Amino acid sequence: MSEAVELPKEHELDVSWLDNMGEWGIKAEPSNRGMTLADIQLSSYGELPEVSENQTGRPRGATARPEAYRVGDYGVNKVSEIWLDNAEFLYEEALQRQWSSATDVPWETIEPLPDDVEEAECLLCTFFTEVEFVAGDVPARWIGKTSADFLEPRNVLIAQVMDEARHMDVFRKRALANGGGLMRMSGSTSGFVGSIDLSRDFTEMSTRLHISGEGAVLTMFRMGELFGQNEAEKTMYRLCAQDEARHVAFGVMHLRYLGAAAPERREEIEVYLDEAEGQILAGQQNPASQASETSEALAVLLGGGQQHYDEGYKQLLAIRKRQLKEYMKRVESAGFGERFTNGRSPLPKQYASVA
Amino acid sequence: MSEEEKVTPEPIAKPTFKWMGLTNQWDVRVEPNEHGLRLGDLNVGIYGEVPEYWEDQTRRPRGSVGRPGIPPLSYSLRYKHDVWADCAADLYEEAIQRQWIPATDVPWNTLETLPEEIEKAVCQVCTELSQYANSEIEIISHWQDEMSYGFHEVKQYLATVFFDCARHVEALRKRALSNGGGLGIESKGVANRMILQSSGGWTESVAYLYLVRGTYVFHLIKGLHNSAHNEAERFIYKQMLQDHARHLTYGYDHLKYAVTHKDGQTQIMETLLAVGEGIMARELDTSLIRPAMAIIFGEGLEGAKTKGMDSYLALVKDFVADYVEICGWLGIEKTGRLNPALQQYLDL
Repeated sequence: MSEAVELPKEHELDVSWLDNMGEWGIKAEPSNRGMTLADIQLSSYGELPEVSENQTGRPRGATARPEAYRVGDYGVNKVSEIWLDNAEFLYEEALQRQWSSATDVPWETIEPLPDDVEEAECLLCTFFTEVEFVAGDVPARWIGKTSADFLEPRNVLIAQVMDEARHMDVFRKRALANGGGLMRMSGSTSGFVGSIDLSRDFTEMSTRLHISGEGAVLTMFRMGELFGQNEAEKTMYRLCAQDEARHVAFGVMHLRYLGAAAPERREEIEVYLDEAEGQILAGQQNPASQASETSEALAVLLGGGQQHYDEGYKQLLAIRKRQLKEYMKRVESAGFGERFTNGRSPLPKQYASVA
Repeated sequence: MSEEEKVTPEPIAKPTFKWMGLTNQWDVRVEPNEHGLRLGDLNVGIYGEVPEYWEDQTRRPRGSVGRPGIPPLSYSLRYKHDVWADCAADLYEEAIQRQWIPATDVPWNTLETLPEEIEKAVCQVCTELSQYANSEIEIISHWQDEMSYGFHEVKQYLATVFFDCARHVEALRKRALSNGGGLGIESKGVANRMILQSSGGWTESVAYLYLVRGTYVFHLIKGLHNSAHNEAERFIYKQMLQDHARHLTYGYDHLKYAVTHKDGQTQIMETLLAVGEGIMARELDTSLIRPAMAIIFGEGLEGAKTKGMDSYLALVKDFVADYVEICGWLGIEKTGRLNPALQQYLDL
């Protein structure tokens, strides 16, 4: 054992750094919503760089240290690539609206269902368990690639990863809570070219994930009141819809920002929208699409059993119609609505064909 | 709409119902208990069989029926020992129950003006600790996506860590900007670089993130909590401590799982830690957290040179002692093998 070293009576202390702090004299005050991220956007701390050269992970507004290591891997370093105007609000809302699938869903309201209905619900839950964490895996990947100067959108994306973990878990819980089990996976989330997974640009990813993918799922969750068989399921869909609405809002607001800040990218965005729109009703990622097994399951749930499939299917068509309508409204809100009137988008015609 | 543009209404598609009956296990009925319906409660029958190696490279939920022909995704962490800790599911639920909201839960109105050098010290610590939290976010962001779906409990648990760290970055920034101060000087990034450059697998990152630096961070936050200047700071540090304790629980448990389930992992850890100790010692030397904590503990510049620095060095000594003890629990003997630059703190 080493002998104890005696400490000097007075230590040397370099305090030269005390004269080199970031902008000083900042005193943010809480507003009526508490001390929100918006409340601390003061002076230089609220100033966003158009292009961030911060590769050290320095908090925005802190004093740079010349010898700091360039530890960042920040490919997303232009404000137009990631920004949205209401990121602070979406993040604070996400914090306020966290919920627990263990204790906030009234699981005791679940009662045995006819076999065909239980199977339909379990297929839908298997689908959601599978797809929900795409929206966790993929945004997570982009967070570490985004400059620390853009902490507000980063924090919204982090909140999304948390939400998706809960969605993955609540649907697994439902599938295993009522005498059923998980069923066959859809396989719709693999890395096909043009998929959410393989996007090499953040806005491409966000367009696919937030606007078309989650947009379609949001409409579904909102219709959970229709196909939920008990209060537990209705609660589950309601809470998930609340989260999903924030994710979709992120995509819409970001696209709106990018469209205005980087007009040279508008045509590129139109191409992503072309691809997305080709998949809304025909692809596998929308549980209500024409090609998915989950559509049959939804018709069973909406009709109240296999024997009422046709009646359920008619309600499913109404959901599809609503998905298209809501999608078009979002794209319009993002500033890309012209495509629905100039003949570029196939959706107006599809909308008309859905009875 | 013109005549030729008229659209045919979509017909009702004929069902196949081919999906019916396709399950690996039916009749499962997990029930909520006094804690609700928790993630770990679902581990019944085949749904609770966590494989040593997860063959499937798709997003197939564990226990569900696969589908042939699905192209693989690039999950590289496919062994259980790459990611697992038995406590992950419980920690996930605990994290959800214990979430807090910096905007409204922190009693911001209790902040009071501090002497300038103390305010600067607090702000400097907030700046560097937020960079610590940021590097935790970035390394998790790198690995989470590589983890197979067969170990969903860990993926889900890490989502809560992600969120905790975002809240830490947020709360520390809010504290720095709400009491007449501002942010300080960025970290040199010695330990951040060690963590962000750990590319040999998630276990390596965990060793650096939690065992080496995380153990130190725990003592730092505890020290800050014990010397908080007001209720707002006390609340923030208390919540951070609670969150960080969960992170360490997973980290230590995962390392234990890895060294007991993977041949040769103990020796790899010995090598990694030998490197990490030297880097951590440099972090302790170069970080401005050191003088800043001395000012906080010493209640000013004069006190910083005596009792303040003594208290900080005692904190580091406690960290190193804990580190050595946890290494011993993992089967990595450190007595006589500790990097001298860390050993000096133990000898104080």
